[in-house]
Amino acid sequence: MDVQQPNQISDHLSIERSKRMGGNLRRDIYRDRYLYMLLLPILAFYILFRYIPMYGLIIAFKDFRFVDGILGSQWVGLQHFERMFRSEQFFRIVWNTFILNVYQLVFQFPVPIALAILLNEMRKKYLKRTVQSLLYVPHFISWVVLGGILIAILSPSTGIINIILQRVFGIEPIFFMADRFWWVVVFIASGIWKTAGWGTILYLAAITNIDPQLYEAAIIDGANKWRQIWHITIPGISGTIGILLILNVGGFLEISFEHIFMLQNQRVMRVADVIPTFVYRAGLQGAQFSYTTGVGFFQSFVGLFLIWTVNRIIKKTGGMGLF
Amino acid sequence: MVNTATTGEKIFYFLNNILLMVLAFVCVYPMLQILATSFSSSRAIVSGEVFLWPVDFNYDAYRALVRDGQIFRAFWNTVVVTGVGVTMNMIATIMAAYPLSKSRLRGRNVFIWFVLFTMLFNGGIIPTYIVVRTLGLIDSYWSIWFLGLVSTFNLFVMKTFFQGLPQSLEDSAMIDGANDIVILMKIVLPLSVPVIATLILFYAVGHWNSYMNVLIYIPSPGRQTLMVVLRRMINTVQEQMLIGQSDGTEGLGFLQQALTPEAIRAAAIVVATIPIMTIYPFLQRYFVKGALIGSVKG
Repeated sequence: MDVQQPNQISDHLSIERSKRMGGNLRRDIYRDRYLYMLLLPILAFYILFRYIPMYGLIIAFKDFRFVDGILGSQWVGLQHFERMFRSEQFFRIVWNTFILNVYQLVFQFPVPIALAILLNEMRKKYLKRTVQSLLYVPHFISWVVLGGILIAILSPSTGIINIILQRVFGIEPIFFMADRFWWVVVFIASGIWKTAGWGTILYLAAITNIDPQLYEAAIIDGANKWRQIWHITIPGISGTIGILLILNVGGFLEISFEHIFMLQNQRVMRVADVIPTFVYRAGLQGAQFSYTTGVGFFQSFVGLFLIWTVNRIIKKTGGMGLF
Repeated sequence: MVNTATTGEKIFYFLNNILLMVLAFVCVYPMLQILATSFSSSRAIVSGEVFLWPVDFNYDAYRALVRDGQIFRAFWNTVVVTGVGVTMNMIATIMAAYPLSKSRLRGRNVFIWFVLFTMLFNGGIIPTYIVVRTLGLIDSYWSIWFLGLVSTFNLFVMKTFFQGLPQSLEDSAMIDGANDIVILMKIVLPLSVPVIATLILFYAVGHWNSYMNVLIYIPSPGRQTLMVVLRRMINTVQEQMLIGQSDGTEGLGFLQQALTPEAIRAAAIVVATIPIMTIYPFLQRYFVKGALIGSVKG
């Protein structure tokens, strides 16, 4: 392995140092022995709690029993996967996971971009700071609390939303949490509420990096606000948008367990049951360890594949990839 | 920036300000509504009179919570889990980030990929559960502390911050004969207060709001933390309301007939959220910077 990366800032120093030391591997390791001492326990943590569970995925091809352990359990080949691909329920939860993710990508992903552009156009500094602080608040609210709040304010009898709908617009109470259409709307809207404000931070930083001369030139050319945003701001942050898009699509199928779990109820399970909640219910509560590991494996694998694909597409089209 | 705004621009700025203020209000309104509900009378809640401000101010709901006691027990459990957890998080994150920030370290790229890969791929719920159970950590807080020991994202935030510190100070200390650990403790950490504050906040919020891990790994109700207990209360209240309030003594023992379950639910939500909302204003000037450091490619 080569330690010298030409694009690192402090590199010429370390190259000189290793020349002085003769570039000897053993001597370098001895020189940095304290650094390795710090690092080793953490690598042990990664092995024990991240890599061994990855290895544990082999139980998807076994019939796992706790008495036999991961290694001792019987191999059963692709039996669990055959059952999976014959199961109607499996296709339903994959479809639900897929479509909820598509909705999130279409409706939730662009919101912080728009919000950041609007925030950037605020001229009163103190007002901007106050608005920003308030927009970040939902990020710190837990999904449990958010679930509780939603159930309270959307209640058909005492919820403030239904009261307003009834008194101001004369609409009959809507059962938001029990109706399959409205439930999806609530799921997406609550996701936007919790993540949009916090999501502006990265885009705002990208906007401040845009050269102000570009705007000055555009104003001299007579470009109005809309054209400035469209031709300067958005192209200026497209790199950031690309990277966040990769990360979002990579998290595809890895829908937030807590978010959906808090809003789920029996009456909307047809649209609300997704891979992680199924794995929790059937795997941990129903003790079908091997089968649900297979389902989880499918999810992780598709996620990895998607992140790789989107990264390639973005690089091919001239964008800055993640790796 | 331009000082002379045209009429069109003035209208744009005005509408933009209004829109963003409305959105900012939408972000905090639900919490304010819950706060108002928790201090209102049952009559006002049921007849839908409460909007942003308590009606018939009283704190009976909080008295009921104190009498019941389980939320305060969970509160204490959460303080313990968060306190010990954040301490372990910070020590471990610094231990990993400092070596990885040194480009002279042999094998650095391999270690970085080793850590980074866990962000792209993981074993999932069941294999992780099997490992924790095999280690005998079920129903012990160690399962929570170990599983969440290092957040890879936070590790990279800290590593990037360390890389931005001036190398010359460390070089001169090294010439004076200090070893890496002394340099880390005496020079690097005192310069890293902003990033340390940010990560303490990130980790603390993570522990405080954590639900899934406690649900999976801590089955004993007496040892569970706030969010799990709060969730159970929300569900019970929901069932209670579906059954109807005619028989308030059934179900949750502590629900008084005179008190609507909605007020108790609201009060429980307030108790669970107050700590974070109290420290938030003090730490917010740090965390925006912290979130930005993480965005720089490691």
